[in-house]
Amino acid sequence: MDVSKAVTFWYGCNVLRHGDIIHACLDILRALGYEPAPVGGVDYCCGTVKDMNQTAAGGMATRTVGKLNARAVPVVVWCPSCHSHMHDFMERGNDRHFDMTYLVELLHAKREQLAPLLVNEVPMRVFLHQHVGFNDLVPVNRMVPELLDLIPGVHVAEATYTAPGYMCASFAAMPKALEDLNNNTARAAKAGGADAVVTVFHQCYRELVGLDAAGAIPVYNYIHLIARSMGLAYEDEYKAWKRAGEGAGELIGAERIAKVGIQFYERAILPELKKRPKLQNSDPGS
Amino acid sequence: MGTKPVIGQRLKEFQEREVERILGACTRCGKCYEVCPMAQYSKAPASDSKAVVGGVLAVLRGEAGTSEALGWIGVCTRSGVCVPACPENVDPKMMMRLARMTALGGRGQPAQLPVKEDPDYFDRVRAFAKLQLTDDELKEWT
Repeated sequence: MDVSKAVTFWYGCNVLRHGDIIHACLDILRALGYEPAPVGGVDYCCGTVKDMNQTAAGGMATRTVGKLNARAVPVVVWCPSCHSHMHDFMERGNDRHFDMTYLVELLHAKREQLAPLLVNEVPMRVFLHQHVGFNDLVPVNRMVPELLDLIPGVHVAEATYTAPGYMCASFAAMPKALEDLNNNTARAAKAGGADAVVTVFHQCYRELVGLDAAGAIPVYNYIHLIARSMGLAYEDEYKAWKRAGEGAGELIGAERIAKVGIQFYERAILPELKKRPKLQNSDPGS
Repeated sequence: MGTKPVIGQRLKEFQEREVERILGACTRCGKCYEVCPMAQYSKAPASDSKAVVGGVLAVLRGEAGTSEALGWIGVCTRSGVCVPACPENVDPKMMMRLARMTALGGRGQPAQLPVKEDPDYFDRVRAFAKLQLTDDELKEWT
């Protein structure tokens, strides 16, 4: 896809947990010569979470495609759910008037320009947490390791485990599958001598950072490593909050918690920050 | 005076066409179920792969699904391993997605799977945006 300089960066909904990832992506795009305008959140939801109400999903799809059409520039997509839902459903029921590319595809296509920007060494042997599914639409399981190989000091361990499903968040209602996924990932990473697990998607990062918080193995998103090598210094607050668990409120601060309401924070946010994966005793190295 | 457009009408028409295509193309060979990496997590694992696919097609027709079919539909996480396994190019991933929408009551039929909608889902997205973005970013980016 030939992307002009002005682009819409459609980041999605749930990556708003990770402001550092959004900000780093914008800086990376700017460094590659683009002028990204970020959009996302509930008003740009793709509707993929509304399987139980296709009238609502259809309305959300029409609204979001219309808003992206109105911007009249190519769209760079962060979220795999948004990207695949656009491909599978949204554009089947609406006229899409913009070119669209997934961020990994764009970065991979621009890796000759990206490589000189990766100036800082990141000494780390990493295990890529990969899934099937989305890889059929965009070959991220090949492209992301090739991006990581550009970073001085990074060594990508052999991928000896591929998780089912297209990303981790869809396992939320299946505790046994989620337990297997966490343990298989940690076990494969340690067996491969990895220092850390690296995820492609923010949905997987949100889940697997629990391994980090539980002390099993450090976890990053691939954007974190690219950003670190470029010298971008955005703090991964979500990881800090996750590690703090019950004490996350002290890091977030009363002023920010007041913005969302203390009751909502305690009911709907704190349980997620306190959640830890169920690790099996046979986990090597644990 | 024109008629008021129905919300999401074209999407629904696309889904109807896909259902008809799938019902016409699927031979119930069961290959999609046999290769599925999620079937092991079903609440009602099936021993007969042909029968479980038949149950999925029943759901697509708006009929009651078997417990095995609903169990499989409930654990589909779009692995897509079924797509190349299908000898008829049915696109079983699409078949399962549409079956899931149908079984959850999303396409107008009575729900056959429990609908577990998180009432805080969108408010949680808004809340994290407030925690992670500046006021100006909130105004311009969301």
